[in-house]
Amino acid sequence: METDLSDKTFVVTGATSGIGFAVASALSVRGAAVIGVGRSTERCRLAAHQLRSLNPKSQVDYLSADLSIQSEVRRLAGQIQTLLAARDKTALDGLLNNAGTYAYWLTLTPDGVELQWAVNHLAPFLLTCQLLPLLQAAPCARVVTVSSASHYGARINWSDPQLRRRYDGLQAYGNTKLANVLFTQALNQRLGTASTVRAFAADPGLVKTDIALKGTPPIVNWFWKIRRSGGISPAETAVGIVFLLTEPGIQNSPACYWKHSHPRRPSRPARDLASANRLWALSEKMCGFHLEVNHDTVC
Amino acid sequence: MTQFADRSAHRSYVAITGAGGGLGKAFAVECASRGWDLFLTDLSPAPLEQLAVSLHNAYSIDVVVYPCDLTDAAARSNLFETIRSTGLRFWALINVAGLDYEGLFYQQTSQQIRTIIRLNIEGTLDMIHSLLEYRDPLQVFRIINVASLAAFYPMPVKATYAASKRFLLDFSRALRQEVRGLGATVTVLCPAGMPTTSACIQAIRAQGWMGQITTCDVGRVANQTLNAALAGRGLVIPGLINRMLQTLGALVPAPLVAALIGSRWKSAHQKSALDQRLAES
Repeated sequence: METDLSDKTFVVTGATSGIGFAVASALSVRGAAVIGVGRSTERCRLAAHQLRSLNPKSQVDYLSADLSIQSEVRRLAGQIQTLLAARDKTALDGLLNNAGTYAYWLTLTPDGVELQWAVNHLAPFLLTCQLLPLLQAAPCARVVTVSSASHYGARINWSDPQLRRRYDGLQAYGNTKLANVLFTQALNQRLGTASTVRAFAADPGLVKTDIALKGTPPIVNWFWKIRRSGGISPAETAVGIVFLLTEPGIQNSPACYWKHSHPRRPSRPARDLASANRLWALSEKMCGFHLEVNHDTVC
Repeated sequence: MTQFADRSAHRSYVAITGAGGGLGKAFAVECASRGWDLFLTDLSPAPLEQLAVSLHNAYSIDVVVYPCDLTDAAARSNLFETIRSTGLRFWALINVAGLDYEGLFYQQTSQQIRTIIRLNIEGTLDMIHSLLEYRDPLQVFRIINVASLAAFYPMPVKATYAASKRFLLDFSRALRQEVRGLGATVTVLCPAGMPTTSACIQAIRAQGWMGQITTCDVGRVANQTLNAALAGRGLVIPGLINRMLQTLGALVPAPLVAALIGSRWKSAHQKSALDQRLAES
């Protein structure tokens, strides 16, 4: 039985293609208001048009932002707040941190951060912290971050967490996906068990997307095209992610890592709370703020 | 953070030119992660400011930024005058600022050729000359000059650039001997192309498999070079294949090397130009 989402609002990052677009359309079809985020204004416009044609009654907005840049993430959070206010809404029911990237060569963002670390980990961290008051204002809200099975086998090297000195694209990718699970654990710990906001990490499985085709050498393109041929469609994995964003029954579930609507055990390093707290402190420092969780809104 | 006021008299800085992007930024991040205070310069102010704020937050270091056109002698004089009047002291200088307008010499403008020489040679030498004066007397002064693997060969399509880097290579080796008595060291870095911008990545791709195997990540190069400088080494060539190429290249007569490189680079240059035209169309 699918719950009615007509009075709910969700933010989905990386919503112009792949998993993000599939989740945005699934939410939109069920009547939710969706704020999609994409890097390119043109692709945002196209995606918004497609979603509106799927469900003409749906409320769809797209905002463009380059999530590799911290000032852009902060600007985006402000724009989301303004947009909600313009729609007479005071709360946000869910945030899907889906935007992710893969970089074959070491690339440093304008903030001097390794690109995958910035987009896959710091952006979800910063955006979630910035949107937390809006999420806490909802009767029940979710923060879902798209991790990956590539976090198995990953281990954060605390002397060089971004792998700047010995960069390997796939290893760096796995580390950011491990960071997604650790972030989710640390967030839940900070929010407390009685919080109305609950965070989950999603394992999407192997999905046919274009993630490893953007700016990578021909050999990587070739390898990814063969590998993804055994994958599932973005729409199939979206079902499990929509479940994590909307299913009321899992609000108090202690499970933090889910695949296709079922809890899974993340890797041992991903379950280490000391690492989660260390990563949280490092991320706060890298973003230049300290989060004070307001527990007043606990129901 | 970016103002000059209230500097502790005991702070000592690492100066990095061309710090706004690519290898310069990688050096800045690597130094910051080691907890070193930084003095950053580059042409445009906005990227420097943004980087300075982030590095200050992330690594709790002091960062001074001073945007400057190092091809302009008057701008350089202003920079040195500011350093003198504020009493900043340095224990290292990393000269990264350099440029190339890739293409055939006779197709380049005379302004472009002058700019290559002014930035790669004049700017670098002027920085070294002045900062030696403002070095921290209590520490060994480390100079790192970024030349290029191109410094070892006459390189058609990059003729002026390669020769300017050859200048830096020979100059650095000679200066190293001169400043030994001052308690200073000179390390010259000769890297192959690095994937710093989408244009560079495009150029590496245009070189095919040779581009792929000779390319090293900037983070690794910055880390390796700083370690080498601290150990007082004179020359750094990142990448085993690049070191082998350099050794082999030294055995082949220069005119033959020029002919071989010419045939490879001309075709890469044409392919790159073609890719660009296709992308634009």
